[in-house]
Amino acid sequence: MRFQWLIGTKECAGEAQIIGDQIWFHFEGRTFSVPLTKERVSKGRGAGAAQSDRIKSPMPGKITKVLKKQGEAVTAGDTVLIMEAMKMEYSLKSEVTGLVSDVGCHIGDQVALGQILMKFEVKTENIS
Amino acid sequence: MKVTSKKIRRVAVANRGEVAVRIIRACEDLGIETVLLHSEPDVQSRAYRMATKKVCIGPASTAESYLQIQKNVDGARAAGADAVHPGFGFLSENYEFAQAVIDAGLIFLGPSPEAIRRLGDKVECKRLAEQLGIPLVPGYQGENQDVTHLVNQAKLMGYPVIVKAAAGGGGRGMKILRSPDEAKELIESAQREALSAFGSSKVFLEKYLDRAKHIEFQIFGDSTGKVQHLFDRECSVQRRHQKIIEEATSPSLTSELREAMGQAAVAIAEAAGYKSAGTVEFLLQDGKYYLLEVNTRLQVEHPVTEMVLSADLVKMQILTGQNEFIHSSNSVFSPRGHAIECRLYAEDPFAGGVPSTGLLGHVHFPEGPGRRFEYGFEAGDSITSYYDPMIAKVIVWDVDRPSCIRKTVQVLKDSTIFGVKTNIPYLIEILSHREFVEHTMTTRFIETHFANGLKPIEISSTEAALIEKVRTNPVRFRLGESNGVGSSITPSPLKSPFVGEWRVLQ
Repeated sequence: MRFQWLIGTKECAGEAQIIGDQIWFHFEGRTFSVPLTKERVSKGRGAGAAQSDRIKSPMPGKITKVLKKQGEAVTAGDTVLIMEAMKMEYSLKSEVTGLVSDVGCHIGDQVALGQILMKFEVKTENIS
Repeated sequence: MKVTSKKIRRVAVANRGEVAVRIIRACEDLGIETVLLHSEPDVQSRAYRMATKKVCIGPASTAESYLQIQKNVDGARAAGADAVHPGFGFLSENYEFAQAVIDAGLIFLGPSPEAIRRLGDKVECKRLAEQLGIPLVPGYQGENQDVTHLVNQAKLMGYPVIVKAAAGGGGRGMKILRSPDEAKELIESAQREALSAFGSSKVFLEKYLDRAKHIEFQIFGDSTGKVQHLFDRECSVQRRHQKIIEEATSPSLTSELREAMGQAAVAIAEAAGYKSAGTVEFLLQDGKYYLLEVNTRLQVEHPVTEMVLSADLVKMQILTGQNEFIHSSNSVFSPRGHAIECRLYAEDPFAGGVPSTGLLGHVHFPEGPGRRFEYGFEAGDSITSYYDPMIAKVIVWDVDRPSCIRKTVQVLKDSTIFGVKTNIPYLIEILSHREFVEHTMTTRFIETHFANGLKPIEISSTEAALIEKVRTNPVRFRLGESNGVGSSITPSPLKSPFVGEWRVLQ
């Protein structure tokens, strides 16, 4: 979809399209994509989506910080990893409360899309 | 030589992607029908939409579809084809496939099985070159493993020399000898490593070409067996032996070298009884050329030759198959201007070139004079990880090399592919590099200058503002919704599997 917008005093014409959860841009001779939502937490996800006991890499990129070690406790929403790609930083958060059962990456690692980066042992609520 | 022509009515295309489209186009120009022999997922491709008939030959896996000789031959026959074009890759250099096509009573649009076998066999090809006096990369592969003898052999070749484990592979036991002082010690060390790694201390020596250019000659044998060369291409820009940018003609050849190398290329092809299109590859260093190998098929980079010659190699292949293409006695081929081809790969240049897959959205190539786009997939098609990541080729012609480089950069900047990341930013960097512009690049260009890939791009404040505008009004921009692409396109079911947050780095 073509766009032509005034940003400040600049006339900006280009192409943009949303495919899945990414916005694709072509502007001034360059194509790039960014995530559609910058919001955190499960807002964009379908209701009742199962919480995941693992974090997979959302994109190929580089691990810049590993904030939790194996065996450490995590609470749902904690940032556990930070990765970088295309000059963008991405904070990866745990969806579950429990313990880190496995760390599948190190600082500086180049990781592939879908690679499992961290696994958790989910703490189940004591209902008795 | 008297030849009888046989009209081809329907060509089976034993390939996929952009080259399948290329072959179908050439057939259409000649009024010939086509049969696409395709895998299951490739029903979503441009070639599938274009072909007259389609035959599914198996599932996605190439081993069960595109590499199956019998399935391809059976499919071609069942659909009433009278000829088969193998394209490049897959079965194109498999002499058993060529033979199977002929045995089924069909025309193979390529060289004879015998020529494919002889030139494809590295040992036999080298033996043939030796007989014809064509220079090969000097080496020693003899039985005498005495260190003093090996040092003498290295001296004869001239340093640097590479020593390789005879039983080896993958770089183990491989060493580069740069001077006679270290030769003895390094050869002994390579022998020890070879013994422990492969159980045999035997080593080979080969002259190490550390600043060579990749130069190749397009050859074409007509229906009568007369071979001509159709000038040269330079393909020095390679990553892990995979070509990225090719051009015609080579800016590195003197007229004497062009003459000598062209003659060598024709000589080896003629000696093998070559018919149809082929390529003779050389390495060129310090004004000396060495035969590398012969590719017995149409080459990925054939369009640059076509652009400077105004020729159609695929059409020539089909006419040769009909026994109709005959070289005229005085050469009709004369290069004009300069052409550059860039291979577009679906990969992320900012993440070390990791392959990128997904559903294609908007795809736009800026048409114009001297601009040619070869692609096999359109908006709504998916790029999957089953096949080669090369998704398109951009070929640009202009009157001279500097204008051609400038134009190619502009064409790449104006080319838009949404849905998968591409190496376009990487191609632009290469084309803008001083060594490329001054055409001093060698086959080590990429490993020397682009070993670490590209630096991440920065999102400008203007771009950040544009991103925000789309985020606040997403409906208008969504694929398949009121954007002209068509509502038949279903967005990929893949969703981001987790939660998180982005921020632009300052």
